Amino acid sequence: MVNHNKMTLKNEKKVKRPLKQRIKDEWRKNALVYIILVPILAHFLVFQVIPFIYSFILTFLNYRIIGVSEFVGLRNWMQFFNDDIAWKSIWNTLLFSFYYIVPTMALGLILALVIKSGIRFTKLIKGVFFLPVVTSFVVVAGIWEWLFSGTESGFINYLLSFIGVNTQLFLSDSSQALIVLAGLSIFKVSGSTMIYYFAGLQSIPKEMYEAAKIDGASPLKSFWLITFPLLKPIHFYVLIITTIGSFQIFDSAYLLTSGGPNFSTSTIVYYLYTIGFTNLNFSYAAVLSYVLFAIILVISLIQRKYFGNDQNIY
Amino acid sequence: MLKKIVKYFVMFFLGFCFLLPFLIMVLSSLKETTYASLDPLFWLPDNPSLNNFIYLFRNDNFLRWIFNSIVVTIIPVFSQMFFAGVLGYIFARKQFVGKEIIFWTFMAVIMIPQQLLIIPKFIMFSKFGWINEYQALIIPELWAIMGVFLVRQFMQGIPMELDEAARMDGANDFQVFRKIYMPLAFPSIATVGTFAFVSNWNDLFQPLIYMTNEKMYPITVGLASTLNKEGNFGIEMAGATLSFIPTFLIFLFFQKYFTEGIQMSGLK
Repeated sequence: MVNHNKMTLKNEKKVKRPLKQRIKDEWRKNALVYIILVPILAHFLVFQVIPFIYSFILTFLNYRIIGVSEFVGLRNWMQFFNDDIAWKSIWNTLLFSFYYIVPTMALGLILALVIKSGIRFTKLIKGVFFLPVVTSFVVVAGIWEWLFSGTESGFINYLLSFIGVNTQLFLSDSSQALIVLAGLSIFKVSGSTMIYYFAGLQSIPKEMYEAAKIDGASPLKSFWLITFPLLKPIHFYVLIITTIGSFQIFDSAYLLTSGGPNFSTSTIVYYLYTIGFTNLNFSYAAVLSYVLFAIILVISLIQRKYFGNDQNIY
Repeated sequence: MLKKIVKYFVMFFLGFCFLLPFLIMVLSSLKETTYASLDPLFWLPDNPSLNNFIYLFRNDNFLRWIFNSIVVTIIPVFSQMFFAGVLGYIFARKQFVGKEIIFWTFMAVIMIPQQLLIIPKFIMFSKFGWINEYQALIIPELWAIMGVFLVRQFMQGIPMELDEAARMDGANDFQVFRKIYMPLAFPSIATVGTFAFVSNWNDLFQPLIYMTNEKMYPITVGLASTLNKEGNFGIEMAGATLSFIPTFLIFLFFQKYFTEGIQMSGLK
């Protein structure tokens, strides 16, 4: 009996010592990992995970800035389904995507073809095309506001007068304002779609064009039969990122139109902003933010389905 | 020959269209004029003056906004570069428990739009006393998931043999990272830095919400507030030009890192 006890004790010691040793070894091997990763995970928890969960809880509360918040069940969600302006904002965002996505892709492709055309100065011009991407919305919007002012002295109206078009209202016209905002985003983003397309064009083997040339295909024909179909993965990738970007549009609506005229440029994020920070209704704003999340999630899942987990093109 | 001329024409025409808004911005900033009396070609250069800029520099708020922007941009830029480097190395080369789960959790979180987190973060920051404090814009931006992903991808392409040879010579983890991975992966780390600069300097949404005191505005929010108030296009454009110069310089010197990096991530 005594002997047996001794045995187990001995055994335990045997197991324990290597464990200590193992921790020591692990520390010697991975000290850097733990020193860096522990604070990073804490940061991740505080600034990403907890707000994400808390936002979901908020959707079921009547949040009060002062005083006690109460649980209201699905009331905020029901409010969303009966909120005409919310649905109009979703519709506006879809309409914005419609005006914005295809032109941005097309212009990006054209710009990529221009800088791939093998003439001189393309490197310089590539920088020019990319410049709006690094410029803030505030700067571009400031210029845009003047270019598209709805009077005779507006620059675009001035240009239009040469081809006999009457003075347009632009930002003050509820049917045009969203198009002007889309134009701003096209100008600002096509430089980055250009880069994706440029990378795609470089991966197409030269031999294919040579073979097509020998067969007597015109440049236009070889574009539609070789270039365009071979860029398919790029088309899809660019489509996804511009779509996600278009659902998050806020800056230009805030800066140029404040959602007007007559809510015609109220996008999802702009509406969320006014509900949250003008009306101070945090709970309902949280519902809207989850609606935005649901939409983006669906788009991202489509992307993952086609591209696997890595967000890389290749 | 004709084909070449057409190519050049198309390229320079498109280039001109892209440059024109910037040209108008810079030229307008040199004009003393009010919004109401503008004619479409008022910006064409004749008797330029620097009065708009002088006006802005005499305005206390404007210099304060530039200073605020510098503070909330520079700290995250260096911090994001550092953490992207170290975390990129950790996820590319180290073996430890939970590595895959942690990494893919990070990747999943990229899908969460930042607008979703803004309301809970505002409530949280109010409790922390961070509203109208630099912390609100600096601390959440100290590292970025996308940057870690970018550097990790890059480091996975660095041959293991270098690493092993250094360890044979008795180098520890930190030395291997500093002497081998950091310099070799520098292009990707520089990309993270340039992206961080542009996104923090240009951010409007977050400071608009966390900064309610005029003194704490960064230049984006400051400009946006004058855009509707000032009514003087020349002054607005002088402000826009000044806020544009830092991003322009960064872009001029680090263009390579922008265009290479953008293929791996998604800058909006």
